[in-house]
Amino acid sequence: MITIIDYGLGNIRAFQRVFEHLKVEVSIATCADDLVSATKLILPGVGAFDYAMTCLNHSGMRELLEKKVLSEKIPVLGVCVGMQMLASKSDEGVLPGLGWIEGSVKRFNPETIPFKTRFPHMGWNSVIPVNHSPLMNGIQSDSRFYFLHSYYFEAVHPGHTIATTIYGAKFCSAVQRENIFGVQFHPEKSHSNGVKLLHNFANL
Amino acid sequence: MLYPRIIPCLLIHNKGLIKTVRFKDPKYVGDPINAVKIFNEKEVDELIVLDIDASVEQREPDYKLIEHLAAECRMPLCYGGGIKTVEQAQRIFNLGIEKIAVSSLAVEQPGIVAEIARRVGNQSVVVVMDVKKTGLRNRYELFTHNANKGRGLDPVKFAVQMQDLGIGELVINSVDQDGMMTGYDHKLIDAVKEVITIPVTVMGGAGSLQDMGEVIRKHSIIGVAAGSLFVFKGKYKAVLISYPTPEVKEAVFKEYFHP
Amino acid sequence: MEKKNYQVCTRCVMDTTDPAIRFDENGVCDHCHDFDNNVKPNWHTDERGEQQLTKLVTKIKASGKGKEFDCLLGLSGGVDSSYMLHLAVTKFGLRPLVFHVDGGWNSELAVHNINVMVDKLGLDLYTEVINWEEMKDFQLSWFKAGVPHLDIPQDHAFFATMYYFAERHKIKYILNGGNFSTECVQYPMEWFYYATDITHIDDIRSKFGTIPMPTYPFSSVFRHKIYLKYLKGVNVVKPLNYMPFYKDEAIGTLEKEYGWKSYPQKHFESRFTKFYEGYWLPERFGYDTRRVQFSSLILTGQLSRDEALERLSRPAYDPETIDEEFVYIATKLGITPDELRGYMNIPKKYYWDYKNQQNVFRLGAQVMNWLGMEKVVKRKQ
Repeated sequence: MITIIDYGLGNIRAFQRVFEHLKVEVSIATCADDLVSATKLILPGVGAFDYAMTCLNHSGMRELLEKKVLSEKIPVLGVCVGMQMLASKSDEGVLPGLGWIEGSVKRFNPETIPFKTRFPHMGWNSVIPVNHSPLMNGIQSDSRFYFLHSYYFEAVHPGHTIATTIYGAKFCSAVQRENIFGVQFHPEKSHSNGVKLLHNFANL
Repeated sequence: MLYPRIIPCLLIHNKGLIKTVRFKDPKYVGDPINAVKIFNEKEVDELIVLDIDASVEQREPDYKLIEHLAAECRMPLCYGGGIKTVEQAQRIFNLGIEKIAVSSLAVEQPGIVAEIARRVGNQSVVVVMDVKKTGLRNRYELFTHNANKGRGLDPVKFAVQMQDLGIGELVINSVDQDGMMTGYDHKLIDAVKEVITIPVTVMGGAGSLQDMGEVIRKHSIIGVAAGSLFVFKGKYKAVLISYPTPEVKEAVFKEYFHP
Repeated sequence: MEKKNYQVCTRCVMDTTDPAIRFDENGVCDHCHDFDNNVKPNWHTDERGEQQLTKLVTKIKASGKGKEFDCLLGLSGGVDSSYMLHLAVTKFGLRPLVFHVDGGWNSELAVHNINVMVDKLGLDLYTEVINWEEMKDFQLSWFKAGVPHLDIPQDHAFFATMYYFAERHKIKYILNGGNFSTECVQYPMEWFYYATDITHIDDIRSKFGTIPMPTYPFSSVFRHKIYLKYLKGVNVVKPLNYMPFYKDEAIGTLEKEYGWKSYPQKHFESRFTKFYEGYWLPERFGYDTRRVQFSSLILTGQLSRDEALERLSRPAYDPETIDEEFVYIATKLGITPDELRGYMNIPKKYYWDYKNQQNVFRLGAQVMNWLGMEKVVKRKQ
């Protein structure tokens, strides 16, 4: 059962519809009880880092979430701000992140970006899978996904990076450490490429 | 590499899709749900859907319709029309919409717009500026309510105010060029782009992919939106949905996108 | 009426789901005999056909001299109309007015195919967009009526629009992609009733319609067949019957020349027709339109009976996507999936349960047959 964590942010319905289309059982969690039978988790997110962390911390789900992910090792996919929350901290805010994958969240260096409109990184950009993660199975190099963010995850260990994208400079657009995955782009809004990725997650 | 966005824009009037010319003479174009489904199947970059009656009739957004449209989209969907409160905006986001668009609200109650941006994040708030040339000197003026209410505001100054307010994106819509299919209003676009650094999408006048290319050539990263171009075909304005295939899009970018 | 035991033709694949079917002592059905006796002898695709075709094209061109268009063609995006258009322009050198009727159910494939054909051939398209609110109510009326022939709203709009354009632009020849090659077996009347019986349509509307329909194009068989044909001289012609026409070859040509994309089954240009023929008819009434289509292909040597039977053993709808399609159809019609399911289970009705002018149609067809004006023999019920 894929459970989408609804802590107040993110396009829950869009994820739900993709999984329904894939005929994968999906549920939505708004409290700790809803997480109990989860075998896979989606952690969506939009907006500011601190606000997202605050919402998650106040949702009553954080404790069980950490148990499921860190002890039971069930797969979890953080999306957009959900991926950034996997880090230990972010330049965007003051609150600590979940710290599930070693890394921190940085702002794009405006000097490297060749456009007048630099923030946010918004639109369709190419994703290049690296390090052979099952999440990226069947996704061609240079496949485009939809991005909407101004900060990105900088992984400490290069081996945790499973996809890169270029915006000004190359940055990490997807991460994995064991059962913990994160994607900076929005697979729920990236047409067939996104569906493929979510299908891969469901099939883990 | 990030690419410019090519965005169909649909107008809803009396539950059906219409297209206007200079915001007048609505021509019936069909059912919104099937149109959105076809655009989704064509894998468009993004979609803008505007209910042009809601503000004028002072009624609530049509939540059922919004939900059905959102269900058909695997790409970002921006919805506008009749949004006046934070609660309405939140309700629409919960139905699966990525961005909400406001027009008259930004003029009449900018505080509420700022509040929505604060609650959901600025990336989700879009302000649409309908701009028409008025007066003896043909100056650009901001209009609302389907270009029926002149607001006496200079769009360039207003754009800066909106940017300072903390919105995520600005849509510049030329009333004079709407439905004409003779090209975008470059003067207007250039003037606003001069002072704005947040994302911009332009609308009104696209008659060909070359028209879109010209905007891309000048401004690189920008959203180019069109109504007539993606809904009409040929000199008799036959109603037939179209959108450039990936190959055609590549060709357009190759020719016009040189950041 | 005694219930027939199940029987399927030994030559084609029509069976007793066609209530009027009759079999001879060898188990061969009357559709096959009709083909042998009435269709085949009058169907020439060799030099005779070519001569007839040349004469026809000359007549069409002459009728269009000095006018913007010399013929009319309705383009649905399907194989027959697309191929007809391809030939009309590239082989016969005709100047068709091309129109498309948008009933709100266009599939992306249909839209793509119409686009590529019209673009490559450099033609100007006309469209008639049916008001969706009216169409929706109209379609729901037919569901509520409980009858099999649910596609009348789309079909009727098509005929009416076709004749409207013919009259407006003073076009004498309507090109129809209909052909014996893939359509020599007729649909049973119980499955698909006439789309032009206004008495029948009015009865359904008065009983089940809920809103006025001021813009929907209504027309009547009298207008079509009598007034327009015999008084205004408008003819419907089927050029594909004068030449060898093979479906697979036609598709291959279209794909190669235009980047045309093929459909999983006939009539799938419309999402509604796809659902209606693929799911609704077979599941509610047991009518599988593939039987008719495959039987035609068997009789014209384009499909083996074994292959037809094999395909018929699988459902006409895609089990992977049918749930989503069901929800989409319901959503678009403004009802819930449960309500739609409800219509699946209401008592079955047929055209004779409502007012109709079938007798007039039958008499008219017999008269025209007798007068030599029409070749097609409508089944004696």
